[in-house]
Amino acid sequence: MVSNLTLIVAIPLIIGLVNLCLPRVLQKLLTIAGLAYLLYLVYLIYKGGGEAAHLYGSVIFAVDKLSLFVLIFIQVLSFIILIFALKSIVPSDERFFFPLFSFTVSFCNGAVITTNSIIFLVFWGLSGVVLYLFGLIPRTDAASQSAKKTFVLVGGSDVFLILGLILVWFLNPKAGWGLWNTQIGLEGELAYIAFFSILIPAFAKAGGFPLHTWVPEFAKDAPIESVALLPAALDKLLGIYLLARLMFNLFQVTLTMHLLVITLGALTVIFAVMMAMIQHNGRRLLGYHAVSQVGYMIMGVGTGNPIALLGGLFHMVNHTMYKAGLFLTLGSVEKKTGTAELDDIGGLGKQMPLTFIAAVVCAFAISGIPPLNGFYSKWLVYQGTLELIQSVGRGAQIWLLICLMLAVFGSALTLASFMKFLHSIYLGRRQEKWAGIKEASPNQYLATLGLALLCLIFGLWAQPLPLAKFITPILADFGLNPAAYLGSYQPIPVLLLFGVIFILGLLVFVAIKKVRYDAIYLGGMEALEKFRIAGTDFYNEIKDMKPLRWFYRNAERKHFDVYDLGGQGAGWFTKLFQAVHRGILSEYNLWIVLGTLVIIGVIYWLV
Amino acid sequence: MKASIGWLLFAILIFPGLFFTGVLGLIVGWLDRKVSARVQYRVGPPFSQNFNDFFKLLGKETIIVRNGIHSLFVIAPLVALGSTVLIATLVGITLFQWLGVANDFGDLIVIMYLMMVFSVMVILGGSASGNVYSSLGAGREIKLLLADELAFILVCLVAVIKAGYTFRLDAILATQQAQGMFIASPSGAIAFIVGLLCLQAKMTLPPFHISEAETEIVEGPLMEYSGPLLGFWKLSQAMLWVALPFLLIALFLGGFTVEGYGILWSLLKYVGIVVVMILIKNTNPRIRIDTALHFFWKILTPLAFLATILAVLGV
Repeated sequence: MVSNLTLIVAIPLIIGLVNLCLPRVLQKLLTIAGLAYLLYLVYLIYKGGGEAAHLYGSVIFAVDKLSLFVLIFIQVLSFIILIFALKSIVPSDERFFFPLFSFTVSFCNGAVITTNSIIFLVFWGLSGVVLYLFGLIPRTDAASQSAKKTFVLVGGSDVFLILGLILVWFLNPKAGWGLWNTQIGLEGELAYIAFFSILIPAFAKAGGFPLHTWVPEFAKDAPIESVALLPAALDKLLGIYLLARLMFNLFQVTLTMHLLVITLGALTVIFAVMMAMIQHNGRRLLGYHAVSQVGYMIMGVGTGNPIALLGGLFHMVNHTMYKAGLFLTLGSVEKKTGTAELDDIGGLGKQMPLTFIAAVVCAFAISGIPPLNGFYSKWLVYQGTLELIQSVGRGAQIWLLICLMLAVFGSALTLASFMKFLHSIYLGRRQEKWAGIKEASPNQYLATLGLALLCLIFGLWAQPLPLAKFITPILADFGLNPAAYLGSYQPIPVLLLFGVIFILGLLVFVAIKKVRYDAIYLGGMEALEKFRIAGTDFYNEIKDMKPLRWFYRNAERKHFDVYDLGGQGAGWFTKLFQAVHRGILSEYNLWIVLGTLVIIGVIYWLV
Repeated sequence: MKASIGWLLFAILIFPGLFFTGVLGLIVGWLDRKVSARVQYRVGPPFSQNFNDFFKLLGKETIIVRNGIHSLFVIAPLVALGSTVLIATLVGITLFQWLGVANDFGDLIVIMYLMMVFSVMVILGGSASGNVYSSLGAGREIKLLLADELAFILVCLVAVIKAGYTFRLDAILATQQAQGMFIASPSGAIAFIVGLLCLQAKMTLPPFHISEAETEIVEGPLMEYSGPLLGFWKLSQAMLWVALPFLLIALFLGGFTVEGYGILWSLLKYVGIVVVMILIKNTNPRIRIDTALHFFWKILTPLAFLATILAVLGV
């Protein structure tokens, strides 16, 4: 009998292939039926039906607690996003969108359940390819530029993954091509090269600093459903999945490496959110946040103690929910207005109330407002960091405290940035040209409200539901014992206490009930449209502040962008070779002789 | 000890929650007006003035902007009130542990994040009306939050470090009861001063009343509010006079004692903080938002950071 694990990879793959030659209506039906079946399969696997799949006698697919956890949320998220996509894609794009959607699910599933590093490499690479193809769907110049950038960064980092996995095999041949348990000690240059070679693709996929620059570009130009699917949700799951394998299974990580990863995490949080604040395009703003939130996951997984790991992994699923939700609400707005430029929209909250509610809940969740899920996971990450601080020397303590401070401040900046986002789209004064806009279609608001509801449920029942059922069991796989929390927070009593006062206030208001409706009061001035405040300029003071001004100016010119820096470096090399390439035969002879000498020298040195 | 529902209801509704915080807040509001009046050589209002104001607002008509988002406009002040009472209760339960209410609630991170809710509601409620002045004020409110938050995080971290790396408010208090108040050390003293200035900004008191700026943008986000809803806003603001100084007392002044002269000493801590804040309020003109950002990010944050380093070094 075929293993459920094989099915969960094969079914979406087959659906995708069949879909390439089906009419549009059947495409949708088949995809949704297939994904619903995958949900059932993953339920079976959760209930213990995940027996390993073999090929030529060796295990290729298996599940442990970590991959099961990621697998479940790949199915849940892709199903919800598919519901949204059913009636939102531009008809001409549907032809490619739905097959790509199934392929994506198949490849991501494959990557998380394979124990073999070569098969992992294949699925991982393919998931980068579908990302690129999604980016090409709009068929504009800007979109193909962004897709290219994405492919260069994500696909380019796969080269390092190949190198890293080969080195892992070389360092511990006994484990074969195993990915799940090599436990290599970090000693010697090769081990470090291997460690960094795997860290780079994990960062590139998840969008960690400094390899994050493709995320906002991709978010700006690709179809928004694909942005919600990959960079916002599944790429986070894959990238952090690899990071967790790297930190806990592949290597025995030293304190210095923990500190390095935490620092990169904190820098990711702060740099990306500073960039997000000043964006005028809604998609780019969300794209930068999709980067910034990765910082918390990296910090959590990088810290390496049980609480932080719980927090990091929990933040990973939380992020997929609220970020997918935010992208989709923006998608609903964009379908109605035709633009994601925040300056142009405004005051839509009254016309699109359900989308607005979903956006507010997701925005609160990402900013870490209790009792939503984003708060709980950040709270765990902070505690984990604090626990690490307790056990290190003073220099490292100060260093980690700076990281902790940046992370906590990062969520204030996130909040600020989302106040701007909500204000620019839903609040403030509406422009007359948007007067006719209506609520999004039911499949869209069901999807976004569903995600918002998940955020609330995972926030209120964080301990009994996601943590106890899915995440805490992972600790045992990694040989960690759950530790006591360093804080005390119970979401439900806190919400109830709050609710008592809220309801009391509401009762007072309703009991008094003297209400009159009137126009805006402007002290006798006329309410002209030119006095509208879009909200996009909220942070100009920060943008113009002295050291930050320099940073922002250079960042906008992409002076810190790895992609552009790499491009410049490559250009420089090309120029160098061009200069040498002069067409004089005797010079070519000289180069050949010199080159041969160098090769002989290298061989001599190696042997 | 596990808290029963009855205890929790008592805590949130009577003490140290709604009733206690509200009454004390309104009394402090009177103190504020009285001291301000004396500073300006006026007589000032009678003791009951703030209570009269609040109950009068409850009886007034609520005007809702026709084109605004009505539900959000109504909900925002209620959420702000709820979160303020919640903060006061969480801090108060820990401060008044002798009451026997379970103190399993005082977590510093939770309180810090809840404190942002008030600003968020000011922004959402204000801009739900679509008034241009409210939008202007909303933009300033959030910048002010950013300005003081960085320094405030460091201030909180100082207490966390000195208490042996814990986010639990009761552990922070217990450490101080064993080893003396944190303010007695150089790092604690610096952090306390910075914290006091942060409170000034968190409560949007002068010189940081940039988001309301009555003379310029007519109370900004609160401009369209009237009747009971305005009353709730004013009540929440009055309650901040209790919740935030109490938090500072818990973090650096060792909490309250209720034995013998301890009561007087406790009272002195609170009234001292409040009077200092009122005096700062009365002696400084409103600054611009960029000046506020500059002040907090370039002066107070480095100071608070210094305090953090000193705290790590054990000074």
